[in-house]
Amino acid sequence: MSEDFRARARAWLAAHAPRRSADEDDSTATGLAEQKAFQARLYDDGFAGITWPKEYGGQGLTSAEQIIWSQESRHYDLPTGAFFIGLSMPGNTLLEVGSEAQKKRYLPKMLRGEEIWCQLFSEPGAGSDVASLQTTAIRDGDEWVLNGQKVWTSGAQYSDFGAILARTDPTKPKHNGISMFIVDMHAPGVTIRPLKVATGHSPFNEVFFDNVRIPAENLIGEENKGWDAAVVMLRHERIAIGTMGAPRSNPLAFDSLRDLAAGLGRTNDQGVRRSLAELYARGRAMSLFALLLREETLAGRPPGARGSVAKLAGSDLGRFAGNVAADVLGDQLAGFDSEAIAGVNIAIIAAPGSAIAGGTSEIQRNIIGERVLGLAKDPGVDRATPFNQLRVGTQRQQ
Amino acid sequence: MALILTEEEQALAESVRKFVADRSPLTSLRQLIASGEPYDPDVWKQMTAQLGLAGLTIPEEYGGVGAGKSALSVVLTELGAGLVASPLLGCVLAAEVLLHLDDTAARAELLPKIADGGLVATLVMASAAGGHVTAAGSGDEVTLTGSVSPVLDGAEASVLLVPAENGDGRLGVCLVDGGAAGLSRKRLTAVDHSRSLARVELAGTPARELAGDATAALAAAADLGNLALASESAGAMKACLDMTSAYARIRVAFGQPIGAFQAVKHRLADMEKSWELGYAALRDAARAGDAEPGRFGVAAAVARVMLASAYADAAVDTVQLHGGIGFTWEHDAHLYYKNGLSNKVLLGGPGDQLDRLADALGI
Repeated sequence: MSEDFRARARAWLAAHAPRRSADEDDSTATGLAEQKAFQARLYDDGFAGITWPKEYGGQGLTSAEQIIWSQESRHYDLPTGAFFIGLSMPGNTLLEVGSEAQKKRYLPKMLRGEEIWCQLFSEPGAGSDVASLQTTAIRDGDEWVLNGQKVWTSGAQYSDFGAILARTDPTKPKHNGISMFIVDMHAPGVTIRPLKVATGHSPFNEVFFDNVRIPAENLIGEENKGWDAAVVMLRHERIAIGTMGAPRSNPLAFDSLRDLAAGLGRTNDQGVRRSLAELYARGRAMSLFALLLREETLAGRPPGARGSVAKLAGSDLGRFAGNVAADVLGDQLAGFDSEAIAGVNIAIIAAPGSAIAGGTSEIQRNIIGERVLGLAKDPGVDRATPFNQLRVGTQRQQ
Repeated sequence: MALILTEEEQALAESVRKFVADRSPLTSLRQLIASGEPYDPDVWKQMTAQLGLAGLTIPEEYGGVGAGKSALSVVLTELGAGLVASPLLGCVLAAEVLLHLDDTAARAELLPKIADGGLVATLVMASAAGGHVTAAGSGDEVTLTGSVSPVLDGAEASVLLVPAENGDGRLGVCLVDGGAAGLSRKRLTAVDHSRSLARVELAGTPARELAGDATAALAAAADLGNLALASESAGAMKACLDMTSAYARIRVAFGQPIGAFQAVKHRLADMEKSWELGYAALRDAARAGDAEPGRFGVAAAVARVMLASAYADAAVDTVQLHGGIGFTWEHDAHLYYKNGLSNKVLLGGPGDQLDRLADALGI
């Protein structure tokens, strides 16, 4: 059965999976149209949503087939980046806590790539402490009225829907007054602006909500129980990020840096040689740990909070690789006129971002300490205080 | 190829763990420190005659168990967690060299005795700074001269396999009997109380050169040494992590269990992360040792690199996070700290391993 699946997957990939194009920007209109066409074919031929139930468009198979698919598709660069967030985060969360009607309405179109999703949690005043969010949703008849600002939203500019957290009761302690909604990203009052980051690129957006009306049936889970749904989604996020592996074209990957070092005549330097060898060891260990987590899942032991170990280790590896790249470049890092070095330079500058995006390394360490090692929670003076009496973000003391 | 333990491996780990708890708890290491003995002969007898641990990697035709490197790794992980003092490592490395050489007489004579625990053997592996041995003569009539230190289980071994360089620069592995003329062994002051190390001196000592490719056999032993030390370190590091997490859950300061404070919590989270990465690399090396010998050398070096410094650092953090009590003689933290220091540098430390990896990876 599983081996049948492997043979089918292998044949399909060989026939349909395209090579990565030179233009890696998945946010352009053409790129997006190609991605949608590819995802539709993936769905129509029975390879989308491998472990999702059939009634929501999935294949109803087990994690054994999912692992086989990961193994086989690793040899290709699938043009499905635009769907990664939707499927791994809001998609998996809807599966766990969404209503029957929501699952039937949204999941099949999400799986087929007809509707793209984003995730709207972080705010300018609520990052690591996302439960301090200040975006509000106020009930008005059969609708909710949404006001506020979200930030670091990947893919907002081409998304059709978002999963958003908003405060629905400011008189309750912060975790107990939040709800999660499905918001139509094309609705009146939604404004999306690109957010320029340290590299000079704009891979994220900031999104403003100005009296945006949301139908009552778009509430995910229960009113004021949005934090529970958020915890589910954040868990899926960490596992997805921690186990996705580095793309092969990464300029900070071992192979790329070894070739760069050879090209620059730097491989006689013992320091550079040892740095590169250590990068290989750490990269290997990271992918082996991701493999171990997948094997444990298959054996009936899901990773749970150990997804945070993978997330933390991945961010550390990125930082380490950035340092190795800097070692390899030497003073060629400081000033350059070649395209190859420009690419490495951007990757070095981007490296610290992975220790912030998707939950900072500090927050991952809290999670590992509390949920893997069973240590006591942070004192958390704000846990019992009504939200409207708390100081949040960069507000000055009243 | 799966990284997770098979049911047999889980059962093996369980039985060794139970053996360590029953027969060689840390209190018995403290008795050895007091008595000055390198290991407890009764424990060694049970490890070998009863559990067959010295013969795990020795084929059945030579009286061993023939269980392979993954089983050895599982066993050493448990023994490492308990800091069990024994001459197992020397025996395992000597057996590996014999298995990779082509000397059938030496194999037939020595391997069954090593497997049943009746003979303690060792391999005299030297680092660049550790000295070297030169050989004169050939075949059965070789004489060896030189000095090597530190040698694992060098004072206890009844048979020593000594790599030696011939006058024309050729490397050979020579068999030296423990009672040979001109051989002297002196136990060193070992930083790690669970490890017995010696300086081995040879002054015109008679020896027999074994047939076979010495360079290849010694490389195989170096790879197995990496797997062995990585395994012991993984087990010991997990013991440190468990011990320190348990303490951080119960020790209260400033009205909170100290694990609530991020200064403590984050250090433990980093220890958990380093252990997980090292363990995954270790499992890959153990599997490669049995199923993919072509990549065993790189995989074992990766595991060693990931665990050598990580364990040494974790052991220091174990002292630090226990505070004052962690620095007392009565507390077990210093036993792991010293073991971590020693494991990091024996048989070629992280720098040597990175140099080997760089060569193997074509850097």
